[in-house]
Amino acid sequence: MAALNPTDIINAGEHVFIKMPSDNVKCIVLKAGSSVSLGKFGTFKANDIIGHAWGNSYEIYDRDSKTRVYHPEGISEVEETANNNREIVDDPTSQKLTLDDIKALKSEGLKGELTGEEIVNKLKESHTTFDKKTAYSQAKYLQKKGKKFHKVFTPIKPTAYSVNEYFYVKNPSKIRDIRMDTLSQLLSYSNVHSGCKLLVVDDTQGMIVSALAERMGGKGTILGLYDGDNPHYDIVKYMNFNQETLDTIKVLSWLRIHRPADEKTPDEMQDVTQLTGKDLEGYHRRLKAYNIVEESRKVLFEGNFDALIVASQYQPESILEKLLPYVAGSRPVIVYHGTKEALLETSTWMRKCPDLLAPQLTESWLRKSQVLPGRTHPEMSTWGTGGSLLTATKVIDQPVQAALTKRERLAMEKKNAEAKKLKRAREEAESATSSPAPVTAAAAVGDVADEAVEGVEEGTTAATMTDGDHESRSIKRAKQE
Amino acid sequence: MSETAVEKQSFATYKKNNTIEEGDNVVMYLSKENMSIIRVKDGEYFNCKFGNYKHSDMIGLEYGTKLGSNTGRGFLFLLYPTPELWTLVLPHRTQILYIADISFVMNYLNLKPGMSMIESGTGSGSFSHSIARTLAPHGHLYSFEYHQERVNAAKKEFEEHGLSDLVTLRCRDVCKDGFDLENKVDAVFLDLPAPWEAVASAKKAFKQNKVGKICTFSPCIEQISRTVTALTEQGFVDIQMYECLIRFNEIRVIPMWTIDEAMEKQRAVEKKRKRAAPRVVRDDNNNNTQDEESSSGHINKSIKVEPSVDDSNLSSAAATPSSTTESEMEDSVSTTVSTPVIGSETTASASEAEPRERIEPKNVVVTRLPAEQRGHTSYLMFATFTPATQGPSLTETKAAAAAASSSSAPAK
Repeated sequence: MAALNPTDIINAGEHVFIKMPSDNVKCIVLKAGSSVSLGKFGTFKANDIIGHAWGNSYEIYDRDSKTRVYHPEGISEVEETANNNREIVDDPTSQKLTLDDIKALKSEGLKGELTGEEIVNKLKESHTTFDKKTAYSQAKYLQKKGKKFHKVFTPIKPTAYSVNEYFYVKNPSKIRDIRMDTLSQLLSYSNVHSGCKLLVVDDTQGMIVSALAERMGGKGTILGLYDGDNPHYDIVKYMNFNQETLDTIKVLSWLRIHRPADEKTPDEMQDVTQLTGKDLEGYHRRLKAYNIVEESRKVLFEGNFDALIVASQYQPESILEKLLPYVAGSRPVIVYHGTKEALLETSTWMRKCPDLLAPQLTESWLRKSQVLPGRTHPEMSTWGTGGSLLTATKVIDQPVQAALTKRERLAMEKKNAEAKKLKRAREEAESATSSPAPVTAAAAVGDVADEAVEGVEEGTTAATMTDGDHESRSIKRAKQE
Repeated sequence: MSETAVEKQSFATYKKNNTIEEGDNVVMYLSKENMSIIRVKDGEYFNCKFGNYKHSDMIGLEYGTKLGSNTGRGFLFLLYPTPELWTLVLPHRTQILYIADISFVMNYLNLKPGMSMIESGTGSGSFSHSIARTLAPHGHLYSFEYHQERVNAAKKEFEEHGLSDLVTLRCRDVCKDGFDLENKVDAVFLDLPAPWEAVASAKKAFKQNKVGKICTFSPCIEQISRTVTALTEQGFVDIQMYECLIRFNEIRVIPMWTIDEAMEKQRAVEKKRKRAAPRVVRDDNNNNTQDEESSSGHINKSIKVEPSVDDSNLSSAAATPSSTTESEMEDSVSTTVSTPVIGSETTASASEAEPRERIEPKNVVVTRLPAEQRGHTSYLMFATFTPATQGPSLTETKAAAAAASSSSAPAK
C-alpha cells in the first residue's frame, strides 16, 4: 500500500463539501465528535468519516445515524420495451399513496426504519401506470425519487476544481463568475509551477490565488496586491492548505507599496528598552506587521515576476501600467474579467503597448452531458458566461534597425507617393532624358519597411490605423498649444 | 556539459538568470501564425523570409528580447519555451491536444506538484509537457505509446527539454498488455482508440487506498458508451462528461458614423463636385453660388457644423454654429480624440480644422469570432476511483453471488 498523505484522508477541523442525494452540496467544518445534519436525508457522526480516505460514499442506515461505505451497484442498461407514452395521461391519482402516507414513509426513513431504496420501491409499487412507462421514463422516475429518499452522501475533498464548482453554482458573483474551465486556462497561460514567483491582483475572493497556490505545492511566492483594509481571500480557507502553502501567499496593500513619508518603523516610534508588559506586546505586534509589509515590498521591488495576473474590479490598464515593470521578459500577463466588454479597451491599449506581445482575448465554452448507457445526451441546461481572459506576453522592446513605427511608415509611404508623383510630372514635362534612379531607391526602402512591419504587426486593420492617426494628431495639437 | 556555468534549461520551469545560453531551446516569434523553435548553437543561423539571425547574437540576451535581423529587414521576439508554446510549435506526429482540453483535464484531475500520473498514448507529446511541468519537481508521469518511432522522437524531445527525470516513457500496447503498474498513480489519462480495453489495467495502477481520477478522451459518442460500460463494470463512480472549447476573439476598432455625420460628409462631397463643375453652369445661378461660396470659404477655415444637425448629444461648443472661435473648437476636437470611448459625448463635433474637411467618427471597439472555428475536439469523460472501487469487478461479484445463492437480487 502506498503511504497516505495527510491530504489523502479526511481530517478533523477541515472544510469538507458534502454531496447529498439531491446533488446539492453542503459545506461544513468537520468537528470531531459532532453530528452533522443533512436535513431530510438524516444525520451522520463526524467521527465516522474522520481519518478515512477521501472519495467513498456513505449510506446512513439504522436508528442512530450509523453509516457504512456505500458503493453503487453500477448502472444497468435500459432494456428497450414496446412501451410508449400513448396510454399515459396526466393523472395525479396514478400514485395510490397519499401525501400523508408518503410523509409517514419519510419519517420512518428518517428514524432509520426504512432504507431509501425501500421507500422508492414502495412508491414504485403503488404507482398504477409505472409499468406502462417507457424504460427510459421508468429509469428517470426511479432516479428522481432516489434523489429525494436515498440517504447516501459523499464527502468531497476541497480542490481548486471542487471549490470553484461549489461557488460557481452557489454564488458566482462572489468569485466574479470565474468558471472551472476559464480558471483552468488561466492556470495554463500563467505557466504556474512549483517554485515560481507570481504577482497577482485578485478580486475573486482569492479563488485565483487558491488555484495558483495549489499548483505551486508550497514552493515559490505569490504576491497579492489588495485594496481596502484587508486582503479578501476568503476562498483560501476552504482549501485546507498546510502552513507551507499558506506561507507562499504574501500580500501588500496598494497604499503601502511605497513607504509613506511619515511612516515610522516601530523602533523609531518607541524605544524597546523602555517598554514593559502590554506596551512591549504591542511593540512586537507592530514590529511583526511592519516586517510583513517590508518583506512584501522587497518581494515586489526585486521584480522578475514569472507572471502578472489581474482579476480586478478596477481598470486593468491602470494596474498593468504600474506593475508591468516588475515582470520578467517572456512572461505571461493575464487579465481576467467577468465580462468581455470590460477588456476591449484594455486589449487595444495592450496592442499599442511596446512591452506586450500578441494580446489575445478568449472566452471558454463548457458543456456537460448526462452519460448513461443508451441515454447519453447534453444536459438540458448549461452554463452562461464563465468570464473572459486577455493574455499577452511581456517582451523587452528595444530599437531595431528595421522597426518602423506606424507613423514612420506612413510618413515613408507619403514620401514615396510624392516622389512618384514628382517623377510622373517630370516624365511628362521632359521626355526621356531624366534619370529615375533616386526615385527607385526610395521605393525600395519603402518596400523593405513594409515587409518588416508586416512581420509582426499582422492583423492591424485600417481602422486601428485611423486610431493611430488620431493619436498623432492630438499630440501635435497639444504641442501647438 | 562543457561549460559548468550554464544553467540547464527545462520546459518545466524557468531559468533563474532568464538569459539565453548555448544549448537553450528558444521560440522564434514572428507572428501568432509564424513561430518556430530552435536550439541555440554558436555559429548557426536562423533564416526566415524577413532575414537571418545569428545564434551568437542571441546568446546573453534576456528572454523576451526583440531582435533585429542582421540584414535589417525585420525583427522577431525570443521567447522562453513553455509547455503552452511547445503545443503551438511542436512537430505533429499525431493529432494533438490543445490548451482548452489540456487545461480542463488537468484542473479536473486536480494535478499538482508531487502527483503521479499515467498518460496513454504519448502521441506528439503536447499534453506530456504540460503534465510534466505541473507535476514537477517530485511528481512523475508514466507515458505509454505503442508506436516505436513516436517513442523515439518523444524520448529525444523529453531529453532535450530537460524533462527526462519527470517522465518515464514506454513503448507498450496498453490495451493488450496493460500498464504493468500497480498501486502507483493518482490520475490516469487515456487518449486511445479503445480506452475501454485499458480501464481494468488502469484500475490496478491507481493507489488503492486513496481517491483517484481517470479521464478518457474520445472524439466519438460510440466510444463513450463503451467506455462508460467498462468504467461502471470496474466500479468507478461519479462518471461525468464534458466538452470544452476556447473561443479566440478578433478585436477590431471600427468607425461608427452617425447618420448626420455621414450626410455632412456627403454634403461636403457634393459641394466639392459643384465647385469643380464647369464655369458655364455656375454662371447660370450666379446668386446662389455666390452665397454658398462665401460661406463655404468660411467653413473651410473654421469648422463646419450645421445648425440644422439635430443631435441632442452635441456638446455645447460644437452646437454653436460657425461663429464659434477656432480655439474653442480645437478643444472639443481634442477631447474627442483623446477619449474615443464608447458613449463619449462629443461625437458629432468631431470634425477637423484642417484645410481638408474631415469628420472624425466615434470609434467603437468590437469583437468577432472567426468565421470558422473549432466546434468539437473530443468528449472528456471523467470517473473517480475510490478505495471502495478496488476489489473484483461487477461481473465477478455477480458470478460469485450467483454461485453462492440467489438471495440478494438488485432492485432494477
